[in-house]
Amino acid sequence: MIATLLREASPSLTWTRKPGLWRTEVFAGFVGAILVIPQGITYAYLAGLQPEYGLYCAIFVTLFGSLLGTSSMMSGPNTAVAILTGTAVLPLAGRGSPVYVDFVFLLCMMVGLIQLLFWLLRGARIFQYLSPAAISGISAGAGFLIIMASLDSILDLSTFKTTFFYEKLYVIGSDAIDLMNPYSLTIGLVTILAGYIGRRYSPRYFIIIAVSAGYLCGLLVAFIWPQPVTELEYLGRMPLQWLPFSIPTINREYLMISASLIPYAITIAFIGLAQSLVIVRELKMETDQNIDLDKEVYAQGMANFLAPFFSSFAGAGSFNRTRANQSLGARTPLSGIAASGFVLILITFLGPILTYMPMAAMAGTLFIVGADMIKWRDLTHYAQVRSELIIYLATFISIIFFDLAAGVAVAVFLSVSVFMLRISQLELKVENSGSGILLKVKGALFYASIAHLTEKFQKHCGENLTVDLQYTTHIDQSAVDFFIRESRNMAAHGARLRLLINDKQRDFLKQLGASSDIELVSL
Amino acid sequence: MEISHYSTYSTLLLAVLLLSAPAPAHAQQQQPSIVQLLNEPFLDDYYSNVVYGYEIVTDTQKNASRYAGNRLNCSNCHLQAGTRKDALPLNVAGMYPKWRAKNGKRNGIGLRIRECFLYSMDGIMPPEDAPEVLAISAYVTYLSQGQVMGAEPEGRGIPTLPDTGYDPNPANGRAVYLAQCASCHGQQGEGLAGMPPVWGLDSYNKGAGMNRIREGAGFIWANMPLGSGKSLTHQQALDVSAYLNLQIRPADPRASKFLKLMEHLIN
Repeated sequence: MIATLLREASPSLTWTRKPGLWRTEVFAGFVGAILVIPQGITYAYLAGLQPEYGLYCAIFVTLFGSLLGTSSMMSGPNTAVAILTGTAVLPLAGRGSPVYVDFVFLLCMMVGLIQLLFWLLRGARIFQYLSPAAISGISAGAGFLIIMASLDSILDLSTFKTTFFYEKLYVIGSDAIDLMNPYSLTIGLVTILAGYIGRRYSPRYFIIIAVSAGYLCGLLVAFIWPQPVTELEYLGRMPLQWLPFSIPTINREYLMISASLIPYAITIAFIGLAQSLVIVRELKMETDQNIDLDKEVYAQGMANFLAPFFSSFAGAGSFNRTRANQSLGARTPLSGIAASGFVLILITFLGPILTYMPMAAMAGTLFIVGADMIKWRDLTHYAQVRSELIIYLATFISIIFFDLAAGVAVAVFLSVSVFMLRISQLELKVENSGSGILLKVKGALFYASIAHLTEKFQKHCGENLTVDLQYTTHIDQSAVDFFIRESRNMAAHGARLRLLINDKQRDFLKQLGASSDIELVSL
Repeated sequence: MEISHYSTYSTLLLAVLLLSAPAPAHAQQQQPSIVQLLNEPFLDDYYSNVVYGYEIVTDTQKNASRYAGNRLNCSNCHLQAGTRKDALPLNVAGMYPKWRAKNGKRNGIGLRIRECFLYSMDGIMPPEDAPEVLAISAYVTYLSQGQVMGAEPEGRGIPTLPDTGYDPNPANGRAVYLAQCASCHGQQGEGLAGMPPVWGLDSYNKGAGMNRIREGAGFIWANMPLGSGKSLTHQQALDVSAYLNLQIRPADPRASKFLKLMEHLIN
């Protein structure tokens, strides 16, 4: 056991033995680095942090995730994780203040520890129970939240706070002319339009087209009107360091207050792992990569635990960057390692240029990302099965009316309930034979599914019953107790109960003392 | 028995402490000092912002480099972290909002701080809700504790110099500068060993208040050379201010937009 854990805890580095792939991997890493820079900056904004923390996340979480992992998945800043971080820490401290940063680091360490706990308890399997409809619903809800957050920056409503999305839409609708900043709106709209037009020509790099268009539009506005007139919000200088070591502040006071962060830490750990494992599982199905799920859980947990020591917040696997990576032919973790290196190099040179990046352009790209996460196709796809549609819609609605954490809770609860309902369903087949009734039972016989059997037993009260258990997957104690009770009951009415069972079931039933009351027939 | 004794004693002790504590005359006496705040292991939202604001004012280059465009710190003009009288003290929260001729509108404390970043710090204007702006606002509020709303605090801003009857003479100012100022601010105004640059691309820009001759002269007369303020005559201060005004420095962001952009990209 410990040997397995140690093997999983050490980096595998299998890509070092495939030098033929390195060229493709490094190029894919370069593209990944270009894609992650605008995302890192905007997700840091969603998390309520200064942009450099997002870039550090793009460097270090990606690096550790790939170094310790086994797949070509791109980890790093993630929308749901960023939004949840923001909602968790905002009640505790002013946005972006040092205390806020301390709490974010503490939260990330908790997330990392919880994910490492998942790894120790072999928790990778749990995420199979989360229905795909729930994951799509969470993603759509996060997309909606992103669109709402981006409206703040596009319209420059930053000083105007609302609680519910319809409140914000109402205010925008009624007081738009007084509230919004026309310069900021222009830049935002140019960015969004450029993104959608750019997608026609280059579906892979359109985000970069959108950002460049917004940036150039911002420069044009800055040439015509000075900043005191436009009041545009710019990214500003980023005080970047190559090795931004930081030691998270941990003392008694912080730990006491951070108790309220624990539910969020669990939610973030869960949603981060759920997304990463969905990506990894897809990669495993579509490519021939030698992926170890437990090792990926460890990599995510360790990356998030180490992140605060490098001035970074928590991250998770990214759907869009992994897809781009895959389409460029990346098949090993080297692409992620290369991406983190290129981010470091690129931001060193891009730093001065990014100073004049309007936040409205960043928000425009956020809008596109958010709109992409709400897929009409998902809805029509899940509409065919009623339970999936309910999960999808319930998750989405609870996210837009409450918050992401509530949505995740609803999604988990509904997925598990649907799963439970499915599993407690028995397939019963009644046949009339000469000597009595033959009941064929298919499914798992346990405390939750016996109710179905009871109905059949009551219906054929007083007749000889033969129950065929050879297609039953599982029998538990309460089921055996039920049979014993029923057979005594039937004996009182002059009927007999026979069970057709296999050898394994026979041992189990005998152990529980069923053989004295019921006639057991081995097959 | 033991326990009840202890609790009686502690109750008595508490009562004595409560009775002997002097009744607070003003709220500001309850306010912990910055040094006390810096030693606290944990601060609430307000005081953490006060400390952050203090750190920004004393070390702008490290803590608010996002919006700063030159090598100055707030405390280069707001001496002693904004607590020195006649050196633009920061205890002015009660004076805002007010109308200012500079931008011709009603200015809140937030806009005032943002304009400081734009002109004196030669940077870019932070958004209204930037953490840095909120922190400095909190620090200004902290310093203004006990001031009367709307009334001018004692020693606000800089003293206005009386009319000397002569025009400022930059040539004379150069001589005074080289004799008295150059040892700290450098022959080329580049600033030596922790002293702020007074001209060049690393100093305040042409839109800053310090670039106006009379305002600069008032600051120089009251505070310069550092530690022996008011040693220059009024005319000497005016001359030095006129000399500084002639030097090259970053452009006014309201006037030359292209130049401004180039400056930012070069820096």
